[in-house]
Amino acid sequence: MASLTLDALTKRYGDNVVVKSVSLAVRDGEFLVLLGPSGCGKTTTLRMIAGFVPPSGGSMRIGDKDITTLPPWKRNAGLVFQSYALFPHMTVNENVGFGLDMRKVDRAETTARVAEALRLVRLEGFGERYPRQLSGGQQQRVALARALVIRPDVLLLDEPLSNLDAKLRLEVRLEIRALQQQLGLTTVMVTHDQEEALTMADRLVVMSDGAVRQVGTQSDLYERPADLFVADFVGRSTMISGTVAGAGAFRSDGGLMLSCQLSSAEGAATIALRPERLTLGAAAQGLANHATGKVTFVSYLGALLDVHVRLNDTDHVVVQIPNRSDGHVPAVGDMIEVGWPASACLVFPREVA
Amino acid sequence: MAAVSTRPVGEPGNLTAAGLLVPATIFVAIGLMVPIAILFRYSLNAFVPGQLMVDALTVANYVKFFTDPFYLQVLWRTVRVAVACTVFCLLFGFPLAYVLARTQSRYKNLLVMAIILPLFVGNAVRAAGWMVAFGSKGFVNSTLMSMGLISQPLEIMYTELAVVIGIIAVNLPFMVLTLQSVIEGIDRNVEEAAFSLGASPLTMARRVLFPLALPGILAGVILTFILAMNAYATPVLLGGPKFQTMGPLVFSTFAQQNNWPFGGAVSFILMTATLILTIASSLLIRRRYA
Ligand SMILES: Nc1ncnc2c1ncn2[C@@H]1O[C@H](COP(=O)(O)OP(=O)(O)OP(=O)(O)O)[C@@H](O)[C@H]1O
Ligand SMILES: [Mg+2]
Repeated sequence: MASLTLDALTKRYGDNVVVKSVSLAVRDGEFLVLLGPSGCGKTTTLRMIAGFVPPSGGSMRIGDKDITTLPPWKRNAGLVFQSYALFPHMTVNENVGFGLDMRKVDRAETTARVAEALRLVRLEGFGERYPRQLSGGQQQRVALARALVIRPDVLLLDEPLSNLDAKLRLEVRLEIRALQQQLGLTTVMVTHDQEEALTMADRLVVMSDGAVRQVGTQSDLYERPADLFVADFVGRSTMISGTVAGAGAFRSDGGLMLSCQLSSAEGAATIALRPERLTLGAAAQGLANHATGKVTFVSYLGALLDVHVRLNDTDHVVVQIPNRSDGHVPAVGDMIEVGWPASACLVFPREVA
Repeated sequence: MAAVSTRPVGEPGNLTAAGLLVPATIFVAIGLMVPIAILFRYSLNAFVPGQLMVDALTVANYVKFFTDPFYLQVLWRTVRVAVACTVFCLLFGFPLAYVLARTQSRYKNLLVMAIILPLFVGNAVRAAGWMVAFGSKGFVNSTLMSMGLISQPLEIMYTELAVVIGIIAVNLPFMVLTLQSVIEGIDRNVEEAAFSLGASPLTMARRVLFPLALPGILAGVILTFILAMNAYATPVLLGGPKFQTMGPLVFSTFAQQNNWPFGGAVSFILMTATLILTIASSLLIRRRYA
């Protein structure tokens, strides 16, 4: 186990820079998640760490050892692929034992460690099966056991859950997290599923277009997003565009005057609002910002309701409220009072899209 | 009819399957099995000079083959050449097929074409080309001699080496194309998984790539071995009149000596030897890697 450091790591394909000077420090035993939209360079970054993609610039270290130019087979990084990549011609035992074989571990110890790894992923008794005789979830856990059994310095996971059904995904993600903590593994996981990212990570890295937008804990990203992209990508936000009209004041394009958090933004700007920070009905009256609008759409999420409210011709917000069967449920077409505190308004300079 | 109606929709029934097999079966029966059966019958006949073939039921032709050192020498030479060609085709072909299967180059199709292109040139035409290049007054020798590197022409033509090189050149595309399609079907991530678990490229190839490519290796070996055992134009043109192998021997026995019974026997021995060695090599490869 060790820390992992990326220093100005860059990857260029021709003129196309797909990873732009990424610097990260993953602490010993930390679970770091790379999160970002499709094509932003997450897999490329992970494959550079694993040694399959030679970086165009920058360096990487595991602990104090520079691994930038080390071939993959000398890196001691456990990699779990999205497609699992089990060896189809080997049994589960042989798959899991492969890495130990490469390390010349003797037979008795191999048998013991393979059994232990399979026990960890709850697959005792499956050792003699071939991968094709296992379900997707079981194959996924074999892949995990195979990566864990070599006691890697870093564990690398590339969308390990994306081939599993929704229910299994929830289970396996808890299992992976529990194992990672139990073994104290330094882990980097790639995903574009933000719920997965938020539930598993110690810290998250939001990437877009090959660059790191923000590194931080769940609450850092959710409550203090560094920019509009992060505010939009992590969790949900409704956006109100307008202009900054003075310290803590904002005029929306639809003419609403809003009080908001202080920010460095000037001129054209956008406010991001988290749907759950908004209030409906009489309670809205006392808040710093309130307006009357017309309900345009109500979506039913089970425990929660999303109420879409149009405030005027251009401004529109989504309000998330608990779904209480005794309470009054707004209906489409209702005129309703919406309110939110100034602290809910995060102001960002308008981004050039 | 009950059995037909319980069949899941979309699954071809036995009748349909049989129907699909009929044309190929008839073709194979008429085009292959019948001539082979006739040939086998001929091989048991007797040969009387002047009368050609005489109806009989004798193994004399087979006895003649296996008791004459000349014919045994021909068989042994054929096997030796075929084995050498197959081994070298595999050794040269595998790396080539691997690169071809894994390349991301946009010139990949051109590379594949370059492999297939030699197949457009018939064996005889190609061998004629080699004769021009390698003859004692050929391109290679005259160049080397005019450069003063050699004083006597090198003897390349009419050697076993020339035949082996010639057959390898003919068979390599078959090996490469067979291997390439199988390697393309192997998940690249599986190779990378082996690397990340600590396998060096050689170990990865031995433990993961070869076992997974086994069906392709077998198919390629069988294909090129059969082609090499039965080669005709290349040994005749590059080996010369004294370099006898089984393919040309079959032809000359039939066409020049008009000895149909013995020709039938030689054909059958060639077929059987090919079959036995093919099965033996499959078993060997399977044992090694499966
Ligand atoms: N071998 C390559 N040659 C050229 N461009 C490439 C190559 N590999 C990746 N790219 C480009 O690099 C960019 C980043 O790819 P990458 O696979 O890292 O994205 P990702 O973040 O993992 O996306 P996803 O969430 O869809 O898996 C993409 O635009 C892709 O087209
Ligand atoms: Mg990816």
